[in-house]
Amino acid sequence: MRWTTLYISACLVALNIGLGHAAENCRVCHRVEMAGAHRSLACLSCHVSESATVANPAAATGEAAPCNSCHRGFAAIFDHVMATRSRERAFADRSFTKVDPNFYRKNCNSCHLKGCLDCHQGGGHRIGTASADLCLNCHRGYFVGNDYFGRAPREDSLRYQRGKRFQGEYYLTMRPDIHAEKGLTCGDCHSMQSLAKGQKSAKGCTDCHRISSRPVEHRIRAHLEKLECYACHSAWAPQEYGSFFLRFTDSPTREDFWLKWDETSGEYLRSAYLRKQDSPPLGLNARGRVSPIRPQFIAYYTHIVRDKAEGRENQLLAAEWKAYFPHTIRRGTVMCDDCHDSPRRFLLESSQDRIYRLEEDGMTLGSFWDQRGQTVINGAFLPEARYRRLSARTNAFQKGYLEKWQTFVNRVDGSSSR
Amino acid sequence: MLGPRNPSDYRNWEKGCGPCHPYQLGRLQGSLMYTNTGMIRNIQLTWEGEDGKLYATRGSDTFDAAGKPLKLKPVAELNNLSGELYRKFCSRCHIGAEVGDSTGSSHAGGCAACHFPVNDDATYTGSDREMRGRNPYSASHRMEPLPPNQVCARCHNRSGRIALSYQGLYDGNNGHVPTRNGQSGPVPLSGNRNAVHIAPDIHAAAGMECIDCHTSRDIMGDGYSYQNLYHQVEIACEDCHGGTAPPAYRVITGDGDEAVRESRSYRMQMRPGMAMVLTAKGRAYSNVFVKDGKVQVLGKRSGKIFTAKVVTGTPEHAIVGHKRLECHSCHSRTVVQCYGCHTTYDLRENGMDFITGEETPGAFSETEDYRMLYPFPLAVNQRGRISAVTPGCQTFISVIGEEGNKLRDEDVARFKGKRQLRFAPFYSHNTGKKAVGCRECHANPRFLGFGQHVIEGADIMGTLMCDKCPDKPLDGFLTMDDGRVRAFAAITREHSRPLNSGEVRRVFKVNLCITCHDKARDKDAIYAKKLEYRALDDTVHKRLLSRP
Repeated sequence: MRWTTLYISACLVALNIGLGHAAENCRVCHRVEMAGAHRSLACLSCHVSESATVANPAAATGEAAPCNSCHRGFAAIFDHVMATRSRERAFADRSFTKVDPNFYRKNCNSCHLKGCLDCHQGGGHRIGTASADLCLNCHRGYFVGNDYFGRAPREDSLRYQRGKRFQGEYYLTMRPDIHAEKGLTCGDCHSMQSLAKGQKSAKGCTDCHRISSRPVEHRIRAHLEKLECYACHSAWAPQEYGSFFLRFTDSPTREDFWLKWDETSGEYLRSAYLRKQDSPPLGLNARGRVSPIRPQFIAYYTHIVRDKAEGRENQLLAAEWKAYFPHTIRRGTVMCDDCHDSPRRFLLESSQDRIYRLEEDGMTLGSFWDQRGQTVINGAFLPEARYRRLSARTNAFQKGYLEKWQTFVNRVDGSSSR
Repeated sequence: MLGPRNPSDYRNWEKGCGPCHPYQLGRLQGSLMYTNTGMIRNIQLTWEGEDGKLYATRGSDTFDAAGKPLKLKPVAELNNLSGELYRKFCSRCHIGAEVGDSTGSSHAGGCAACHFPVNDDATYTGSDREMRGRNPYSASHRMEPLPPNQVCARCHNRSGRIALSYQGLYDGNNGHVPTRNGQSGPVPLSGNRNAVHIAPDIHAAAGMECIDCHTSRDIMGDGYSYQNLYHQVEIACEDCHGGTAPPAYRVITGDGDEAVRESRSYRMQMRPGMAMVLTAKGRAYSNVFVKDGKVQVLGKRSGKIFTAKVVTGTPEHAIVGHKRLECHSCHSRTVVQCYGCHTTYDLRENGMDFITGEETPGAFSETEDYRMLYPFPLAVNQRGRISAVTPGCQTFISVIGEEGNKLRDEDVARFKGKRQLRFAPFYSHNTGKKAVGCRECHANPRFLGFGQHVIEGADIMGTLMCDKCPDKPLDGFLTMDDGRVRAFAAITREHSRPLNSGEVRRVFKVNLCITCHDKARDKDAIYAKKLEYRALDDTVHKRLLSRP
């Protein structure tokens, strides 16, 4: 039955193409070379009709109706976050809009999905599958994407804006995700079907990987029940602590801020107080599992008018964290103490361990690694009582710990077990 | 009175300050802050290598550490990149140079650099109406016999940045935020830099100033010319806090004692009969003494008395394996680490030679990869002890020719016979009372120099990599591949080196004990002797470990 339906559909498409070619006059004027998967399509298969030609059939504004007539259901992508940017809009609304009603338009609007061709390379007449480089047009800088290929944003100061460049931005060289190293690209997990459904990905870790019971960590039931795989296997994560948006009006001293900028910067300059790229802090995600979290964003605002701060300077507008999946997967992990003896990783740093003195610099928060005054927008911080439980050196813990370190130490320099 | 605007400048000091202060001037003329011999030599080591000669800012005849006559050649004669770098980039922080246009880094030249401080604008605001508002000048005609911290910070805010770290300032990241009065902030520094506040050194927090620890011989020299600061500096933590032995002292026997003379401007003078604590070189401090069985430190400017806790014999300081540790290996709260120093010498532009006072072809510029404060790596230093280390330096050299052609492109200089980056033993001056925890250090390979990483089987895999050699960590000097530990960078200074594989294994192995025996300070007896790992198989341990 299924094969019969497919056969009939194929015949209809072929008939449609044939008729289109016979009837249209487009190519008399438009000498367009077609290539790629659509090379044998008639012009009007996409551009609809000679009298009411659709100039850009792939535009999101028309829900890419011509594309959708064959690629049924895929136009639903325009109802989801890549096109609506609903999360970014909501963030701007609850933070910067208070101080600048046009903040979203000025700073966030360049990365929304405008049509199918944003991702499907080659332009409409040479259409191809989406490539990772095109994903990275929007998934740039701090946003997940470049981490997968081993790139982390550098500090914003021009002193640090150096080294390897990708798509106009400088990045630190980091160890790439093992999947990238093996040749997998974005679309291998993030299929078109999954994106059209509004899902984050088509595949999860365990769709491909069987959890081996060989590593001691995998034999600890709590790990398997309470942790996302990527809580341990994310090798590193870009972390931006203190995202400052400096707005300049009639202020020549803007030049003294030795910061990166480009023609899209407009009236704003961006600068982070601190960037880190090591093991990400951990919290709970929406399904209650331990997951990496990162600031997104601890946002500050200063409006500089005629070289003077107007209103409150360094105003804290949001202190939000997000549970997320860094695309920096490695087989290896950190050792036990990096979670079980690391209050800072759960934003439970004691005041005597504070290095950065934010309050002395008027930054409102006591510490970036202190849960107080901050929130996880799609999950929660790990409650302190739970951290105390997981950091207790119980007998079961000690046995696992000894096995882990004994196995490791035995292999250092080919040493013996004792 | 002499005519020149600055009688203490090196051109005038023989006639200006020298006639009354010959002892001080004589010492200063051979000291590192004037000769910069160590700085020049270290630049040479980083760039072209040593040429068998010793240089100084100005040529001079002095005496080496053994008291033999020593000729220092003028750095103007060092005609290579090292000489150029020193003269055009580093020489402004030399005590002979006057700097009047640098935010937070201006200072007078000569003795006045320390004893007639400038203000932030290097503008005269004293009582001489003729002078008022003039720049660059010292703030007033008031001589300051005891320079405050701000004087030291005028120069010691770069490279090791010890004056910043000590006061609780950090210029890494350099994001110019948070702003201050709408300007780059919160603390503006020279060279387009800004600093934020971090936890200060415990001594600074208590109210101690630089000169409360550092003797005048540390700063102004002791009459001998050394090739590195760690030879000129005579003090050590153990002088006041004790080490394997408690602090040593000697009693002042007469009014002519140096401690009595030196303390003349202090808020309290030393007197015959006082038991003066000795420096690591065995000379007496002029403000540290033993009273009622306690080591007391006089704040030279403040007059405050600080009591130093002596740690000799306390259980946490008597751990057998820790005998080789410098105090600051555990007690550094942070250690500033600048990774990747990319220096470009561009022959298309002119640069000011601050030694000859002429602009000549060739200008330097510098960019950086990454800055870190904590954690920090450890290695063996020149004393054979385990010390904090910091990149010193990870220099990548580019030279651009007159036609814009790259004559050298991100070159790594040769050191000890091969192309390699270097780390240097370093005390950050950001000391904390709370030490780095036992588990924190032993269970985290970052402290051994592996950089940030993940562990996969018997591989320690760095995650922050070098642009030039992407198989090596940028923020470390060791790799472990299938259990084999290899060093790919050197530690500068004689006899110094990264930990070897045996030492790395020993550090890791201690975790088998620490996980249960984590109370070294509570006199856990196992740390009073060499650890016996076979104990894990004895009946006590087996019974404990078999409990559910």
